[in-house]
Amino acid sequence: MNKKLKSVLQSRELLVLFLLFILIISTGLFNSNFLKANSIIEIFNTSLTLMLIAVGEMFVIITRGIDVSVAAITGLSAVVLGTTLNMGWPIALALLATIATGILAGAVNAVGVTFLKVPPIIMTLGTLGIYRGLMRIIAGGSWIERLPQNIKNPNIWRFLDIPFFVWLSIAIVIVTSIISFKYKKARYLYAVGDNANGAFLLGIPVKLSLFSAYTLAGLFSALAAIVYTSQIGFISMNAADGFELKAIAACVLGGVGLMGGVGTAIGAAIGALFLTAVRSMLVFLGIPGILDNAFAGAILLLVVYIDYRVRKSLEYKQIQARAQSEDSTNTGVNQ
Amino acid sequence: MRISKLLKSWEFALFILLVAEIIILGIINPIFLNLENLLYATLDFSHILLAALPLTLVIITAGIDISSVSVMGLSSIVLGLTWVAGAPIIVALGVALLVGTLAGLFNGVFTANTDVNPLVITLGSLFMFAGFAQGLPILLDKLNFKVAGSGGLAAYQYEGITGLPYSFTDIASTTIWLIPLPFIIVLVFAGILALLLHKTRFGRNLYQIGVNLDASHYSGIAVKKVLILVYIISGFGAALAGIILTAYFTSARADLGSDALLAIITAVVLGGSDILGGKGTILGTLLAGLVLGYLQQGLLAIGISGDIIQVVIGAVLIASLSIRAMINAISQRRQNQKTLLSRSSERR
Repeated sequence: MNKKLKSVLQSRELLVLFLLFILIISTGLFNSNFLKANSIIEIFNTSLTLMLIAVGEMFVIITRGIDVSVAAITGLSAVVLGTTLNMGWPIALALLATIATGILAGAVNAVGVTFLKVPPIIMTLGTLGIYRGLMRIIAGGSWIERLPQNIKNPNIWRFLDIPFFVWLSIAIVIVTSIISFKYKKARYLYAVGDNANGAFLLGIPVKLSLFSAYTLAGLFSALAAIVYTSQIGFISMNAADGFELKAIAACVLGGVGLMGGVGTAIGAAIGALFLTAVRSMLVFLGIPGILDNAFAGAILLLVVYIDYRVRKSLEYKQIQARAQSEDSTNTGVNQ
Repeated sequence: MRISKLLKSWEFALFILLVAEIIILGIINPIFLNLENLLYATLDFSHILLAALPLTLVIITAGIDISSVSVMGLSSIVLGLTWVAGAPIIVALGVALLVGTLAGLFNGVFTANTDVNPLVITLGSLFMFAGFAQGLPILLDKLNFKVAGSGGLAAYQYEGITGLPYSFTDIASTTIWLIPLPFIIVLVFAGILALLLHKTRFGRNLYQIGVNLDASHYSGIAVKKVLILVYIISGFGAALAGIILTAYFTSARADLGSDALLAIITAVVLGGSDILGGKGTILGTLLAGLVLGYLQQGLLAIGISGDIIQVVIGAVLIASLSIRAMINAISQRRQNQKTLLSRSSERR
């Protein structure tokens, strides 16, 4: 078999996509309403915030880091968006401020991790508290409501019966994937995550790569904030609360390795789609939707366990093959 | 020599920080300095210590357990449901502790038998336990689990289970020599864990596993058993925390403690444990937990809002870590210079 094809077939993205497909089909067999295009598109539409956050998280995890502040950045950016809009800023300027907030918040994480040498989980745990606190301080502790219509409009736009935001997010995920495969500097992130010391010796700017990973996570969290605000139409103080852990779960499900150097934007997106689909599936199956976290957690553990077993059996086969080839060369020498 | 070593230790620095903090906050607001008040304030963060102390052991092995925040809620709702089902409260307590221990066993077995990152494993179990805790009342209804005189358990899902007997909720209001019972439980638990960590072979093994897993295997440590036990202790501590929270709020809820993750990990890391394993003490975590707890209480007492306090705690976490990283870098550089100097003099 073609080597490239084989590696695609063994990829985690495909395993999860396959699992998702089976779950969708079996839910559809139980309740045919689930297979209607509308409900599938609706799941896709609901998953977008998580999807964008997960793609941002992916950059950081690829460098062998972790960012638990992404959802807090989404919340903070959303509050900036809502506040500036309600202050009467033109929408373009407000969106710019939102994205700048995300990039800045990501850059703060980046400074802590690359220059102050604080372990990523601690740095981002600290900024998680800081950003969530800032968010409430800026908003004055209450929900931000009565947003102007122009921010809510994009949520209604449709093209070929599919919401504008779905197209936009698919485009972002595909473009990100292409860039991270074809653009040499994007490969630096993978090299740094796989072996930071080796990358340094090869002349790869390790610090700059790390810095850009955390900043990109901030940028994507801000994009998620824009989609979130437009879709929901108001900003509550626990906006995107808990999405940091879901984003990490989505990445892990989609094959982004926490040990660094492995992962794709498409994988992270599939993971996010999967986690969102679980809740809808439970509802269509007549199981209380509140159990979705329990099922999502169990599926995550199942997938990493299957992955572990597959990896081990492959390693075992490799060792066996090597032992056999060594045996034959040894006998050759003896003769 | 011994005293100079003590003075240089991180725990001593934390102790000084704790005293300074209480004095400064006391000067701003004298009411805060009242001994009874200081002891009573521990009620607000006893559950964080109960989860952070055993987490220290986990982090020393280079692992992590973030599922403890879900185990708190799970043990709380299990306690409530067992009591609603008609069991005496003491049995309900036992079942809650058992559930926490089993949750820890699950994490431990998974961690010990695979090479999957413990963060991923406990992330999965965090979702699993939290979802299970939230869905448990409805699930029991669906299984036609009938309780006499009850109109379905689903109502408990959002409201929590109240009306627990005073013999149980009094745990939170009982004091012995002015010290609240929950804080005594914290101190006893800390004492047992300190003995376990610093005075037994098991404890030494934890450090070695954290420094070098492969070497621990080769040196004949029963790594699997040790790891499983560590996660069990973590689950047990979280269940204990859930029980104390239930008594404190006089209501059993599935989401108790779910917002404590930041505080728990901050306490362990501020206490001097290295997130990469091999370093940490029980005393450090205990002192750091008190520093953080009183910081929060004190800031509230002088009228600072909870939102700003969250910012302050995040900043304290980052500042303490970056200062320690800087000190390490400087001492490393000094050592390198010394070695260079001694080598160049040798050459001469």
